[in-house]
Amino acid sequence: MSTCHTVQADAARPQVAERAVLVALAGQPNVGKSTLFNLLTGLNQHVGNWPGKTVERKEGLFTLNGATCRLVDLPGTYSLTANSAEEVIAREFIIRERPDVVIALVDAAILERSLYLVAELISLPAPVIVALNMMDVARQEGVQIEPEVLEAALGVPVVPMVATRREGVQKLLETVDRVIRGEFPYRPRPPQVRADHQEILEEIRGLIAGHVPEPYPCEWVALKLLEGDREITRMMQERLPPEQWEAVHQVLRAHDDALVAVASGRYEWIGRMVRAAVTRPRAGQIGLTERLDRWATHPFWGLVVLAGILGLVFWLTYAVGTPLQDLLDRYGISVLADLARRGLLGRAAWLADLVADGVIGGVGAMLTFLPILVIFFAVMGILEDVGYLARAAYVMDGFMHLMGLHGKSFLPLFLGFGCNVPAVLGTRVIESRRARLLTLLLAPLVPCTARMAVIAFLAPAFFGPAATLVSWGLILLALVVMALSGVLINRTLFRGQRAAFIMELPLYHLPNWRTIGLLVWQRSLAFVRKAGTLILAVSVGVWALSTFPGGGVEESFLAQLGRWLEPAGRLMGMDWRLVVALLTGFVAKENAIATLGVLFGMGGGEGLARVLASAYPASTALAFLVAEMLFIPCIATVGAIRQETGSWGWTLFDVGLLLVLSFLGGAGVYQLARLAGL
Amino acid sequence: MLNRLLELLRTGDTHRVSDLARRLGTTPQLVEMMLEELERMGKLKPVGERCVEECKACPLAGACAAGMKGRAWTWEEEA
Repeated sequence: MSTCHTVQADAARPQVAERAVLVALAGQPNVGKSTLFNLLTGLNQHVGNWPGKTVERKEGLFTLNGATCRLVDLPGTYSLTANSAEEVIAREFIIRERPDVVIALVDAAILERSLYLVAELISLPAPVIVALNMMDVARQEGVQIEPEVLEAALGVPVVPMVATRREGVQKLLETVDRVIRGEFPYRPRPPQVRADHQEILEEIRGLIAGHVPEPYPCEWVALKLLEGDREITRMMQERLPPEQWEAVHQVLRAHDDALVAVASGRYEWIGRMVRAAVTRPRAGQIGLTERLDRWATHPFWGLVVLAGILGLVFWLTYAVGTPLQDLLDRYGISVLADLARRGLLGRAAWLADLVADGVIGGVGAMLTFLPILVIFFAVMGILEDVGYLARAAYVMDGFMHLMGLHGKSFLPLFLGFGCNVPAVLGTRVIESRRARLLTLLLAPLVPCTARMAVIAFLAPAFFGPAATLVSWGLILLALVVMALSGVLINRTLFRGQRAAFIMELPLYHLPNWRTIGLLVWQRSLAFVRKAGTLILAVSVGVWALSTFPGGGVEESFLAQLGRWLEPAGRLMGMDWRLVVALLTGFVAKENAIATLGVLFGMGGGEGLARVLASAYPASTALAFLVAEMLFIPCIATVGAIRQETGSWGWTLFDVGLLLVLSFLGGAGVYQLARLAGL
Repeated sequence: MLNRLLELLRTGDTHRVSDLARRLGTTPQLVEMMLEELERMGKLKPVGERCVEECKACPLAGACAAGMKGRAWTWEEEA
């Protein structure tokens, strides 16, 4: 049994005995432990497993001033809490075997991360030497470390080195020798528990004194109990008399924030060490990022920058993509449809119609859109790769907070910009049933990528040079609707609750063209696959409904259905074709384009974009785009809503609600546009 | 330091790691470590991880916020 004496007193005493000197090598994974181990032991090493574990144990021998040293490579760990087998092995080895020296190998380039382990190591009963590895990498990144200052702050020897170049290895060995001989004044300054928990630690120490089994240091055990360490708690529960354990348990239960207090002390300590010994550059990449972020993440100017960048994305997409789309339309798809008709001459007329109008008309209309999509994906990819998209999210979240929106309802809504399905699933983070229900019912109002694709195709077709402005306005409309919905949820359901959102923004850097190329390729391929399956099936279906029972498209089943709905469409300035196009978007949003392709016939020699532009006035086009933006989501999203609400009633209510919003939005915009003379 | 970080989060605002570091008088690296620690303690939730999984099935997951670089966490006031 031990009493509570100080750990450092033992650690400072040199233990050079008759046995071989025992040296332990500790450190995080990937800090160069294996390199140093191989450098020191050469071929004098063997590999096995730690007793009873599947964790690899490496051991080797080396000679130091004529003395044989046994070097044990401890498993790579980030801390010494009993979270993993590796962490338990490392700390048990140091406590039970009491090595003469522990070399703590740390990565100088990420000193903070490595110091957490050092903070725990120097609280154990074995002298520690900090080997500052990868000094070259740290220098390259502009991080200046003063080893002497760090040594003074830590109270343990610090040796700078570059293991891969053998730099500093000799100095390390000399230091090991000095520590073993007791020539180094070893006075470690371990972190202290936060001041308001010092007394509690003392109380626990007093309660367990005399009951801590050898060779565990009492002070360390008390600290681990305060941290809630599972292994140590179990050990002490078995060792202490029941009434004594109950007293310890009472103290721990009354201070369930102790883990924060202990960890807080360690972070405070790391902060002090870094402040003392590390200088980081203010110029270069970090400086550039900070300068750009002064604008890009400013509460007001950040929004202006975001709006400008969005406008630029659409302008670029249309300026480069639309002429390409036009060419593909005129000389690709239309020609292909004519060729198909000629090739099928003499066969059944319906077959030529199916191939030319159904397949080439529907899927072809989608494929002409590929250049626009490729450019859109590329521009978004560049923004993502240079690190801007994360800023866009940050600025938007700040904006939503300004409006009093709860972060919990904002996050799922924000995810909806990619796809509404994860937005609906993302509402699982909201515990309140009512709040979750409202958020997921409103999630489809966020314009997903597929809806944006429809806008990207139709806006230049209808509005030519003004397409950028129209697209920008449509997104603004969607954001306003989303924000108002969120504010409504917030005011009614989240009143008084607070939530924070923390973001780690990457440094700006030049784009990696290979990454962007790969990203554009994968996304474009996925789009083409979708066009070849789901959109093809719907196109054929639309063609069949628009062809049968015969007598032309105006007499078709589809026309009959469309005409039945036309009165509602008229209020938005739409004929039955646009109403049907809107409806087929239910299967997948892009089908709206494919349906228009089938209904207006791609084989006529004139591109779909031009046909549409001449068929409808601007007021109708604007109403259609607004209705499309607010219309019921695709079937996959509706399925997700059914799954998450667990109710057909709520699902149908949402579909109905969105239909009404879409209709009111479309009709309102149409009437306003008419009043404005469009 | 961890409790000071929690105090800042209790304001319920949107924070950048670099801003938190400045306000705590430390480095962004240390703040990241503390956020990871708070995540392990269950006080913070990482954002977007599950969505990345869900997005695998979506052919048009291109501009999804969950796919962006950088990490994000949420903190919610305990009831």
